[in-house]
Amino acid sequence: MHSIVDAYSRFPKADCGYCGNPSCITALRRHCSGEMPLDQCIFFRTGALDPQSIRCPPATESSGVPGISYINPCPSDAHAVTVEVSLASGEHAKHGYYDMVTLDRILGGHVPSLKVSPSLGMARIELEGRSIMAFGEGRILIRRALDEEDALLQLSRAMRQLWAAVN
Amino acid sequence: MRLDLLVDLWGAYMLDVDAVRKDFPSLKEGRVYLDSAASSLTPDPVIRKMVDYYSDYRANVGRGIYGISRRATDEFEAAREKIAAFIGAGRDELILLRNSSEALNLIASGVQFRRGDSVVITIQEHHSNFVVWQRVKERLGIDLKIVKSDRQGIFNLSDFEDAIDGKTKLVSLAHISNVLGVKLPVKEVAKLAHDQGSLVAIDGAQSAPHTSVNVKDLGCDFFAFSGHKMCGPTGAGALFIRGDLQEHVEPLCVGGGTIEDVGIDYYRLRRGPYRYEAGTPAIAESIGLGAAVDYLRSIGMQNISEHEQALTRRMMERLPEVPGIILYGPPNASDRAGIFSFNIKGLNSHDVALALDSAAGIMVRSGHHCALPLMKDLLAAEGSVRASVYLYNTLSEVDLFADALTEIAKTMA
Ligand SMILES: Cc1ncc(COP(=O)(O)O)c(C=O)c1O
Ligand code: SF4
Repeated sequence: MHSIVDAYSRFPKADCGYCGNPSCITALRRHCSGEMPLDQCIFFRTGALDPQSIRCPPATESSGVPGISYINPCPSDAHAVTVEVSLASGEHAKHGYYDMVTLDRILGGHVPSLKVSPSLGMARIELEGRSIMAFGEGRILIRRALDEEDALLQLSRAMRQLWAAVN
Repeated sequence: MRLDLLVDLWGAYMLDVDAVRKDFPSLKEGRVYLDSAASSLTPDPVIRKMVDYYSDYRANVGRGIYGISRRATDEFEAAREKIAAFIGAGRDELILLRNSSEALNLIASGVQFRRGDSVVITIQEHHSNFVVWQRVKERLGIDLKIVKSDRQGIFNLSDFEDAIDGKTKLVSLAHISNVLGVKLPVKEVAKLAHDQGSLVAIDGAQSAPHTSVNVKDLGCDFFAFSGHKMCGPTGAGALFIRGDLQEHVEPLCVGGGTIEDVGIDYYRLRRGPYRYEAGTPAIAESIGLGAAVDYLRSIGMQNISEHEQALTRRMMERLPEVPGIILYGPPNASDRAGIFSFNIKGLNSHDVALALDSAAGIMVRSGHHCALPLMKDLLAAEGSVRASVYLYNTLSEVDLFADALTEIAKTMA
């Protein structure tokens, strides 16, 4: 598994802003989208860090058309519903819709119902028996919602928790 | 060099997994398929064989006098012969059906049960070998006895001895559990059952694809299996019914193809497998299953078993390293087939499966695996994650799987 987090682990993480980006993770993402040569970063320009060590992960596959793509009974609970929602259009952020590194930095460990895995590029929210998984590419899956309406309500709650991590 | 490494290398020589993988067009870059216990992938020769039927000799079987129809019939019957030989049955003992579930339903409705008869099954049965008997109990008032294993899935033969008696009409059990991967003591149970005058049915859905099976050697009267789990297409499966038993076992469906003669006030069923095959069968699929048998035989069932044993040993080395893992089934690699059920503390099985898919393209089953009695009674779990391997899986896929699981357990639980 070669993720953006591997590349990030080799980044300066100084967040100094010299390159014109608000943070190193933004710089890395712009670099991996072909929008920023590495030598704009002071650390790579001066040779303090080796540009060769940065390998960009393959661009995330967009799950296609934004929208609700899938509703059915939960696999293990015929009375509940599972809803999958795709938020990103193909164009939005080649290296992900949600930035789990940032999410982890802002909320990691502070919200008991939220687990963030920057290395896997996903987050999990437990909300009163419903389970919500959010994936870096902008996919949110709500399991065990009471019904479709409840699923959409949980979706909006989840999106609010995650908003700061939108790329 | 470590002995197990040598053994693995030896296994690799016997089965060239890189060559095998080239035969499976759906093994695309970035996909790790660990759900063969649910359904296996289909190799090119099987796909081509089915396309040939549709493009070269598309006609019904057993009906037409013209050449193309005869060719279709010949191919269909050749498939029957191969599939029968694959499990050591005679061609007249092999009924072509859709899947194991249909086969087990045929047994349940075809055997003449009476109130007071008993049927013995086990706690590890798939719903398809569980609910069918609950229904016979509900409809005909038979006694249904369920033999339990310990939590690791190991049975005590004396529990079968206690359950099987002179009233037992049939013992029906899985050859290999689809959840725990345990090999059940089918041969010993068959002997116990026959000593009491009972019939024996084996649900071979999880065994036929992975080991050499010989129904005569197992000593069973019925053997059910599904083609889609053994490199064949969906919609083709089979049931072995011992030849001399067939006149006492009623078909599930009657109609075209099943009768020898019909008058206004009578009908007489045919003998042999046709008695059970009403209507136009799944022709392309059955021919495809014949090609799957050819394919498996060309690789060699022994080689497939050895390859899976090597994968199993690696799994059983790596999985216990995953933090918070609860691994079900026997701890010894040699006691199990290539099926691995587990949970990670603090994570729902579906979330683990979603995370594996998203993080590493790894496909596994999650949930109750159509074995709710086992889940509730034995494992006291809501569900489990289940990974399963087949001839096209590699040791490096096992490593990738274990690494991904470790990362999930560390960061998501
Ligand atoms: C042990 C066992 N029996 C029966 C079945 C049912 O097979 P099918 O769905 O092909 O009828 C399965 C499939 O999962 C199985 O694993
Ligand atoms: S210049 Fe380098 S260290 Fe500073 S924010 Fe940009 S990437 Fe980070």
